[in-house]
Amino acid sequence: MIAYIIRRLLYVIPVLLIISLISFSLMQLVPGDPAIVVAGTSASNEEIERVREQLGLNQPFHVQLLTWYANLFRGDLGTSFLLGRDVVEVTLERLPVSLSIAIYALVLTLIFGIMLGIIAALRQNSWVDQAVMTVALIGVSLPNFWLGLILIVIFAVELGWLPTAGYVPFTEDIVGWLRSTTLPAVSLAMLQMGLLARITRSTMLEVLRQDYIRTARAKGLPEHVVVGKHALKNVMIPVITVIGIIFSVLLSGSVVIETIFSIPGVGSLLGSAILRRDYPVIQGGLLLVATMLLLLNLVIDVLYAYFDSRVRYDRD
Amino acid sequence: MAGISVAALFAAAAPAMAAWECPETGGDLTFGQEAKVNSLDMHASSTISTRNVAMHIFESLMTRDETNNPILELAEAVDTSEDGLTYTFTLRDGITFHDGSDMTSADVAASFDRYSKIGVERGILSNVESWETPDDLTFVVHMSQAQPTFLEDLSSFSVPIVIIPSENAGADPLKLEPVGTGPFELVEFVADSHVKLKRFDGYKPNEAYDERTGFGGYKVACVDTVTFRIVTEPGSRVAGLETGELDAVEDVPQASVERLSSNPDIAMIPYENFWIHLATPNFEKPPTDKKLVRQAIAAALDMEEIMLVATDGAYNVNFGFQTQDRAVYSDAGKEYFNLADPEKAKALLEEAGYDGEELVLLTNRDYSTMYNAALVMSEQLQDIGMNVRVEVQDWPATIATRNKNPDAWNYHFTGWGTNTSLGYLAVFKFLAPPQPIYAMSDPEKNMDEAFNTAYTEMMNGANFEVRKEAFAEAQRVVMEDGLALPFGWLTKNQAARSNVHNFVPFRIPRMYNVWMGSTS
Repeated sequence: MIAYIIRRLLYVIPVLLIISLISFSLMQLVPGDPAIVVAGTSASNEEIERVREQLGLNQPFHVQLLTWYANLFRGDLGTSFLLGRDVVEVTLERLPVSLSIAIYALVLTLIFGIMLGIIAALRQNSWVDQAVMTVALIGVSLPNFWLGLILIVIFAVELGWLPTAGYVPFTEDIVGWLRSTTLPAVSLAMLQMGLLARITRSTMLEVLRQDYIRTARAKGLPEHVVVGKHALKNVMIPVITVIGIIFSVLLSGSVVIETIFSIPGVGSLLGSAILRRDYPVIQGGLLLVATMLLLLNLVIDVLYAYFDSRVRYDRD
Repeated sequence: MAGISVAALFAAAAPAMAAWECPETGGDLTFGQEAKVNSLDMHASSTISTRNVAMHIFESLMTRDETNNPILELAEAVDTSEDGLTYTFTLRDGITFHDGSDMTSADVAASFDRYSKIGVERGILSNVESWETPDDLTFVVHMSQAQPTFLEDLSSFSVPIVIIPSENAGADPLKLEPVGTGPFELVEFVADSHVKLKRFDGYKPNEAYDERTGFGGYKVACVDTVTFRIVTEPGSRVAGLETGELDAVEDVPQASVERLSSNPDIAMIPYENFWIHLATPNFEKPPTDKKLVRQAIAAALDMEEIMLVATDGAYNVNFGFQTQDRAVYSDAGKEYFNLADPEKAKALLEEAGYDGEELVLLTNRDYSTMYNAALVMSEQLQDIGMNVRVEVQDWPATIATRNKNPDAWNYHFTGWGTNTSLGYLAVFKFLAPPQPIYAMSDPEKNMDEAFNTAYTEMMNGANFEVRKEAFAEAQRVVMEDGLALPFGWLTKNQAARSNVHNFVPFRIPRMYNVWMGSTS
């Protein structure tokens, strides 16, 4: 297993190099000039040219690319054109914000998605099953930005229970953090919850038809033991597969949700960096997020071994 | 010094009435700002979002009053030599920075030094030869050649030469420590989240005035703190205002205006004439290379319809590149505006020999008003038989396309706000030599000579009357030759809770002389 983890970690390096090359090239190919954004729309061409020179954007593409890689190998992802701050510093500062909301949304997704899926499977074809699947379908169908705005109107404006926007760090005030992140997390989680409920339901139905479940029931085991001990562990294998995907979708969805709820996270940072062509933040931020997702996938692969005894990574 | 004292032109007479006082003091005001703040470096950033906050922290030698006239701020007088080559500023005594140090001419010189190296609009110092500081309260600027508009340029609030402590003047661009002389000082800046300011207890109001005017005058911080909270989503801003989490907001969507207007706890404060909504042509790509085609297009358009759809009703279709309250206002060129005359347009197209060449309208969705305006203009031009295509990119891409790819567009959709509010000298900046936006790649060949003659006269005219006349001529040429296609003026809706008083719309939201009452 350890050899496998080391090998996977080594694979991460070329993947990241390719990601960085693609992100660097794509942003250079997309029309738009950060110098105009920095100088402002009122700036004259002469002023824009001065800014371009200050930012090093007047250099040929290959020189900029080589400089980027040379700095990267020294651990320097550059300085944001617009914030004037170190990219690593500014991204790492925002990461806990986005991660805390994504994890909150993931917890909601897992608890409610799996629970609803199991209930629907155990009551297959009943009104309960249909009600759960209808709710799941609604969750899948609602765009999260729309849901976010509706939740603001209901829970902030009308009921006054939660704030409309803003973020309170977990480390400052746990209740404040919960209040500020609940609506964003629910907005993010609804879609994934619906998907997970549907996946859990179909997997559970399949598992419940297996011979070992029939055997367990034939032995006279109570239903909660059959489901909780024998079926659930096998249901978790495909569920774990989608957790990685769900988490990365939650993170990418945060670009929109952080904007609606005015949350200073990585999503909002990258979103505005793209709109304003802040190349160092886009390249550096993507690289850090990609690293995180690659490591997350590794963790999930390792978890397979725990849940599925057929998986043995050190034998291949 | 032998010279002409022009202090009286700028400094207001000593106030006859007692200076303004806050009816109530205290409170924490939270303002919902639509755009993110990147940096508070007022020398190196020209974005409106920076200005919104930084103009509360910093001040400059001169600024603009309520009707955009230059006024003194940190200077109490300025003398101009007869030959126009020397400006002597006398600084106000007893001004301190937020770090407690006294402001002297050495700080002014250091601020000018920094601005001349990294200031976004350092071109305004291009005719300056040197500056000196004969004593702590005197700052002298020597020009290499006379620049009649120098004091107007210096008072510009676009990217002002704000005065900073000399020890901070070595800061790299965007890395300036936000320490100034303004009525508020920085408490906390969390990018993409908020900027919190508090009252600067050492602030000395300008006693040459008895009230706030424009960005200057007698400024007082009535509230204890001001927090500029970044809320980019319009729906969230409106919701925050309704719940009271936000005390005031900018840019309320027109669709929410009616609902908010019926709320007794909220006051709508429209800021009219925020920017001129317009499209600018490209002289280098057919068919807009022909003056007759541009005139045909201008003749065809119904500006009421365009502005109504573009803004949902938040507009004025007033003619002119300056508003009627300005001394320089002129209606020269009005005969080319808002004709809505398809027959005349068709005749002009025929005379031009238009043969169905594609007309590309370059617009964006980042500013929905620009996108909507392009769609309506496209419909109106198709009605007169033109072959129109709407090209949609994001805002930075449209600017890059406009600047670098003259074969890809015919009209670029934009808005002129800051330059328009800065006055007649700035409003035609984008059409001016050496690289006007209508002829980016080959200005030598395509530049409009009639406009350039009027523009040069406007910038160098010896007195205001000469410059005013030249402005009117420049505007007439812009309209006749179709150098720009103004649709109308956009209104920016602002709103505040009813216990927020004296929040008067201006180019940026001003939080000095604003107080929060215990009741509405």
